[in-house]
Amino acid sequence: MNGLETTRISSRVILWIALVLLVVLYGFPFLYMLLTSFKTPLETIAVPPTVLPSTWTIENYASAIGRDGVVASFVNSVVTAVLSTLISLVLAVPAAYAVTRFRTRFGRFFIVGALVMRMVPPIVIGVPMIAIFRNLGISDTSFALAIAHATISLPLSIWLMSSFFEAVPEELEEAAKIDGASRLGALWRVVLPVTAGGVAVTAIFAFLASWNEFLFALLLTATRSQTTPIVIANFQTQFGLDWGAMTALAVLYSVPVILLALVLQRHIVAGLTAGAVKG
Amino acid sequence: MMLRKHRQIPRRVLAGATGALAALVAVTLTGCGAGGGTTASGDDSITVLVEAGGHGELQPIADQFEKDTGTSVTFVELPYDGLYNRLNSEFSSGALSFDVAALDSIWLPTFAEALTPLDDMMTDDVQSDLFPALVTEAQVDGSFVGMPAWTNSEILYYRTDLFEDPAQQAAFKAEYGYDLVPPTTWEQYADIAAFFTQDTDGDGQVDVFGTDVKGAVETEWLATLSQTGETEMVVGDDGAVSLGDAESLEALDFYTSLLPYAPSGAAQLDWAGSQNLFNQGQLAMMRFWAHAYKQIPADSAVAGNVGVTTMIGGPGGVAGVPGAWYLSVPSGTSKQEKALEFVQYAYDHNELSVDTDLGLASRISVLEQYQDEPGYENYGPLIDTLNAASTIPRPANPQWQEIVDSALIPMIQKAVVPGADNQKLLDEAKAQVESIIG
Repeated sequence: MNGLETTRISSRVILWIALVLLVVLYGFPFLYMLLTSFKTPLETIAVPPTVLPSTWTIENYASAIGRDGVVASFVNSVVTAVLSTLISLVLAVPAAYAVTRFRTRFGRFFIVGALVMRMVPPIVIGVPMIAIFRNLGISDTSFALAIAHATISLPLSIWLMSSFFEAVPEELEEAAKIDGASRLGALWRVVLPVTAGGVAVTAIFAFLASWNEFLFALLLTATRSQTTPIVIANFQTQFGLDWGAMTALAVLYSVPVILLALVLQRHIVAGLTAGAVKG
Repeated sequence: MMLRKHRQIPRRVLAGATGALAALVAVTLTGCGAGGGTTASGDDSITVLVEAGGHGELQPIADQFEKDTGTSVTFVELPYDGLYNRLNSEFSSGALSFDVAALDSIWLPTFAEALTPLDDMMTDDVQSDLFPALVTEAQVDGSFVGMPAWTNSEILYYRTDLFEDPAQQAAFKAEYGYDLVPPTTWEQYADIAAFFTQDTDGDGQVDVFGTDVKGAVETEWLATLSQTGETEMVVGDDGAVSLGDAESLEALDFYTSLLPYAPSGAAQLDWAGSQNLFNQGQLAMMRFWAHAYKQIPADSAVAGNVGVTTMIGGPGGVAGVPGAWYLSVPSGTSKQEKALEFVQYAYDHNELSVDTDLGLASRISVLEQYQDEPGYENYGPLIDTLNAASTIPRPANPQWQEIVDSALIPMIQKAVVPGADNQKLLDEAKAQVESIIG
């Protein structure tokens, strides 16, 4: 074994150790939450805490699901996240396309403005939204919450889609135009299929932004559109904390997004790679 | 070939997305969402905004209210901090989504201007059936803006298996010269806390502590402050800040003097942590809110071995901090009449809250009615603590929540670190409070 190979192996070992540490760092809180959800109520509050349940039980899951409003909040979360994702994509795709293809001064100002809007604290726009949605008659609806969530995901979506569109050679569109396609036709039939991975990535980020959002859900929902993050937070009250049920519901709420990420993993990686290299 | 392949994908996506979009838009534009109930938009319904933990206290009253009046009550549950933010936002925007709100006592001054006065409801008979501190708290600028729905106070919890153990009793008497009974004074509390800090299994590690010291909450120190005889809590009616005076130093010194008899990590210990420690059997005594008596798990280490008594007293006597929640009606709701009717009904049927998870009520007559019944042993100590002369409410200051978060809790967290200079911390906190209230 020569020196170069030794160095390569050492680097690989160090890399693996670093990776394992990172995975443990990120994964342990979730693992601990998962294990806690299977503990008895008394063991969830044990001092010092235990990692593995001494007695495994699904009592916490039954308790969480049986609580009023939990199932409805799940449905609300799905509806809101899907709607918010669609709103973001419908607005972000043409906006990003226009910015990247027309390259006007206004376009540059617009895309920087979108980024600046991303920096505005949500509470600043949350309070006016209460009055706006009430005047529009859409208070406490998933649609209103989805619009609010789109204010978070839209700037990010525009930036992401812009980077993906930048990576598509304009010659592709020109070829489509020669074949008789209009600009919109070229966008729809050529550019979007080529950037399908990027659209998937953008959709996932928009979905996650809505799925995990708390503040707007707190301010804008009541009985009809309350989402699960609020219900999870309700397990901690001024009079106590139901760790078992809270962790059980948090696990259940994590499952759909984990599955989504696993199913679309290839698209995410491909999309991120595509966005990283400009053609 | 490549392009043809890609051409097929968007069609499927288009069809699926269009279908999904149509369905979702149809669902949401009709104002549905899955919901957790129906919104209280009709004339025969009201919406009550409530902290998640307090919902259970009001549900039996709401059920009976609907039977008797035909008006349904929809509850919107929110976490404690979230409820405050929601109220703040809705009152700021003027767009209200509720007709009645259950408010923590410390929030009444903050939102008083947006609440309907309840002076007509607060008759002499009503006031005489409420604890004096609650009557004081319910008034802001001379007008009643909240009706107590339930109240709480810290009382003293102790382990009867330890206190009634003849060997422990004999050992305590030999060491301290008086009988081992639940403490009533600071001195007794400190003695017993020291005595019960023991290594019971002989492994060289303390496994039972005499008490806890909570660093992450402020109310227990405020109760200690009242026990010194301080007549104005932190901020006086004239805006003078009393932090740093002899009483506040005495309170903080006693508070932190218990650290050797408490588990480590006091700076981060809050209510939930303290309750867990006691239920795990790791504390011999605990000063805690009265509702915890009904929350002791049947399979906990201390189940069946918990006694409760009146909160301890200092140089100024017994004192607790009233922890009442009030029902208030926003002046902006269009359902004033029904909202006020519900608040009156909740007072009239206060006894319906007794048989709930927390089992708390606000009327003296209701607490007295149940205090001798099995399972309600916490009521007597609660009544005595709230009736104690030194028990005073927290200041009616709109900035109180900020004072707590920015000055009091940080001060206590620093004070429970060994070697802390309590006078300096109090002086710093005083300056902080003065800057908050201007």
